Amino acid sequence: MLLLQFFVSGIATGCFLILATIGFSLTRRVEGFLNIAHAELLGVSAFTTWWLNSHHGWHVIAAALVAIAFTSLVGLGIARIVYDPIRHRGPAVLLITSTGVAFVIGGALHGLIGTGIRTLDIGIARRYEMFGLRVTSHQLIVVGLAAAVSVSLALFLNRTRTGLAIRAMAVNPELAASRGVNLRATSRATWLLSSGLAGLAGVMLAVLATLTTDLAFAQILQILAVAILAGLGSLYAVFLSGLLVGVAMDVSAYWIPAGYRPLVAFAVVIVVLLFRPAGLAGTRTA
Amino acid sequence: MNWPQLLVTVLTLGSIFGVVTLSLNLQYARGGMINFGIVAYFAVGAYTYAIFTQPPPQGLDQYTFGFGWPWWAASIVAGLAALVFAAVTGWPTLRLRGEYLALTTFAFAEVFHSLLLNERRIGNGTVGLARVERPFNDWGPVEEKYVFAAAAALLLIATLVTFRRLLASPYGRALDAIRDDETAATAVGKPAQQMRRQVFLISAVPVGFAGAFYAMYTTLAQPSLFTAEVTFFVWIALVLGGERSVYGAVLGTVGLVFFEEMVRAWPFETVRSAQIAAAVEHVVTGLVFIAVLRYQPLEAAARRLGTSR
Repeated sequence: MLLLQFFVSGIATGCFLILATIGFSLTRRVEGFLNIAHAELLGVSAFTTWWLNSHHGWHVIAAALVAIAFTSLVGLGIARIVYDPIRHRGPAVLLITSTGVAFVIGGALHGLIGTGIRTLDIGIARRYEMFGLRVTSHQLIVVGLAAAVSVSLALFLNRTRTGLAIRAMAVNPELAASRGVNLRATSRATWLLSSGLAGLAGVMLAVLATLTTDLAFAQILQILAVAILAGLGSLYAVFLSGLLVGVAMDVSAYWIPAGYRPLVAFAVVIVVLLFRPAGLAGTRTA
Repeated sequence: MNWPQLLVTVLTLGSIFGVVTLSLNLQYARGGMINFGIVAYFAVGAYTYAIFTQPPPQGLDQYTFGFGWPWWAASIVAGLAALVFAAVTGWPTLRLRGEYLALTTFAFAEVFHSLLLNERRIGNGTVGLARVERPFNDWGPVEEKYVFAAAAALLLIATLVTFRRLLASPYGRALDAIRDDETAATAVGKPAQQMRRQVFLISAVPVGFAGAFYAMYTTLAQPSLFTAEVTFFVWIALVLGGERSVYGAVLGTVGLVFFEEMVRAWPFETVRSAQIAAAVEHVVTGLVFIAVLRYQPLEAAARRLGTSR
């Protein structure tokens, strides 16, 4: 029974990981590099929410919406100022630069917020019992949001003009441009979207966990694990691999100390890569 | 500000991290391998040294092994341990290239870190191994810290000379050929994959030595000393100095260490202002990193002087 309980909380963890990773994978797919600073955007959003919520007494939903909008603008700004001018240097330089960006954001958060533990002013989660399993209302929100985001993202990428342009650009930028896709506008839309998704994940982080300024950086490991497992840049496989990593991490706590959770995440990755070198998504390589 | 002390610190730490930067330079600029987990090899050196010099566990200690060897023997073992670790981690990862390699090495380093943190039988878990043996404390008239700084500088020079000789040899030219055009180099019979693996192994050894020196310097082997921040620090130093030049790598490291120690040596009035200074240090380091990657001032200068590589 306890095992099943761990499984349930693993699903919630997995849904959070999906939210956190999907923006990262979108960036990788369209912009072609690994944005290590993505995790820090979660921190930006989480602390904006916290600041509006517990300093200024905003309602948590209003605070979250403003935080998400703010985060997507920050993400777009960073992309235009930092990444765009050096794009021709290739993915390795962009990857290394993004760790510099992570340093800047992380340092700024440290300086502005300071050390210590913080929580949102939203009261304790309500508990529900179903078939002897406990679920908190916060976990249900995360699962619901992950489902909603998945569906709307799929609809967006398949049905809207901008979504189709993003997909076209991801596959072949030159061809897309020659067929009338505005690469610059599409790239901006991608940054807004992926940073906004980071913002949403950051709000979830603020709801689920107690906040410390180095919490955001810790997420990058799990994001990387999920993204590698899915196959870098593939979007739909993220849903499967997010759940897989989340469940594996939480269920493992049944047998081994919880401190080993990140280790379990990467153990899963290594095992999968041994059998499927390009990740769950299959044949695509970088 | 205490200048002599600052200079000794910069010389010591600059030399220790300079060795790591040099090895990274060899892997990245010559071998074309992005190692984002270099801290793990450093940590292996430090922990090996600590474990081999520590007395057997007693009292509250939770570690399993403590051999009580002399410092020089333990240092050699530290280099060997880094080599073995490189062989073990290189076997599955080196089939991958580019960002996949970067991520896998990063993952290995994190797994190793979490192992050190959680597995108390290796080195007391979070607490770490304290009072690691420092050599040179019976050196007569010269103060121990000066001798230690000189020893660290010697290690750096030895690494520098070895790498330069290696790279000036036909072996080094073959490496350059593989980096510049792998297909062509393979066509004339250079075993690219095998040589990359060799470079990976060779460059791990000095990192192990540097780790041992770092453990002597801090007299501590603790997981919190070996986080991903060390990796980023060394990468920043490498980028700062220009990745193509061996001396640039050393200069970049020394400059970065100097900058950090200046911030650290500043007398702060309150805890909060020290906190802010630490945060600002992070921000500035990041900004320098971004700016250097974008404008590459040192590489441009080196090219103008005709001394690149």
